[in-house]
Amino acid sequence: MLRTTTAICILVPILCACSTPARPIETGGIESITSVDDVDMQDILKASSGMLESLLSQGTLKSAPRQPAQLLIGSIVNDTSSRFDIGEMTYRMREQLVNSGQAAVVTTYGTTPEDATAQDALKRKAFLEGQAAPASVDPDFSLTGKITQVKRQAGNVKQATYTFRLTLTNLRSGIEAWTKVVDVTKQGSKNAIGF
Amino acid sequence: MKYPLPMPMRASVLTGLLLLVACGTVNTTSTRDGPATTAHPKQTQINDLLTQIFLHCRELRMFRTAGGPMEMQIDVNNDDFRQRNFAWRVDWLDAQGNVIPSTMSVWKSASVPSGGMTTLTSVAPGDAGVDFRLQVRRSD
Repeated sequence: MLRTTTAICILVPILCACSTPARPIETGGIESITSVDDVDMQDILKASSGMLESLLSQGTLKSAPRQPAQLLIGSIVNDTSSRFDIGEMTYRMREQLVNSGQAAVVTTYGTTPEDATAQDALKRKAFLEGQAAPASVDPDFSLTGKITQVKRQAGNVKQATYTFRLTLTNLRSGIEAWTKVVDVTKQGSKNAIGF
Repeated sequence: MKYPLPMPMRASVLTGLLLLVACGTVNTTSTRDGPATTAHPKQTQINDLLTQIFLHCRELRMFRTAGGPMEMQIDVNNDDFRQRNFAWRVDWLDAQGNVIPSTMSVWKSASVPSGGMTTLTSVAPGDAGVDFRLQVRRSD
């Protein structure tokens, strides 16, 4: 009985000391969890940052006849086994482009608009003014893309490459105006903290 | 002092170890001798930072991109016998020295094999970015 009590008294504090209490960390920071089989937050941040750097350095948006360029965010397909919202990437790109005045995202265009209420209001206004369509909505570019993965394994070491690809199409010419691929490759046998 | 192995065997083991180390080494050369025309004079400061994680800044370049924002490129050399992994982040500053808030300022990972080189690149979030602040952290 005494032995059992002593063992419990020793083991419980040790087990408590081993567990990691929850605490806030920087989003996508160097203490983030890195997983081989999933797309992590830092991968999404790296992809959106890489896309923006390429887009801004090329100056494609500045070639639009009106400034800021009107941007339509189209279909971006997640073709990986990792479940995450594409908006995690696109909203970060939007924030940078819209808030810095380099692009204006059109949310009232097409058959499945992002903001159907605003589209209805614009249509009503155009109808009352005798116009066929709202004159203010005239997108210059459309953003589409795909995220894919290539997974390989050697023994118990796993490797995954997640490829983020985006394309900007000039809606006046129908021709691709900009494209970018950002790769994220991870290797390991188990998830880890930090990168 | 007594060694557990005879001299010829010790020499073989030592040679073998050196060969194993050399196997992972990357040999690098370039057709360019002089500095780039866009080389920046603050290379020493970058080098002082990288030396803390056993890396070496070969050159810092800054230039305006076709789209307008500034781009910086840092050539990082690994003169060590081991591969070096590190994380880095850049914040861009305007002419007044204020940090430009940006979703592009994120931690990125990089690795440089022994004897190899990598180039860290970053583009300013807008035309206002003229200077940058670099943070590095060793990962291995």
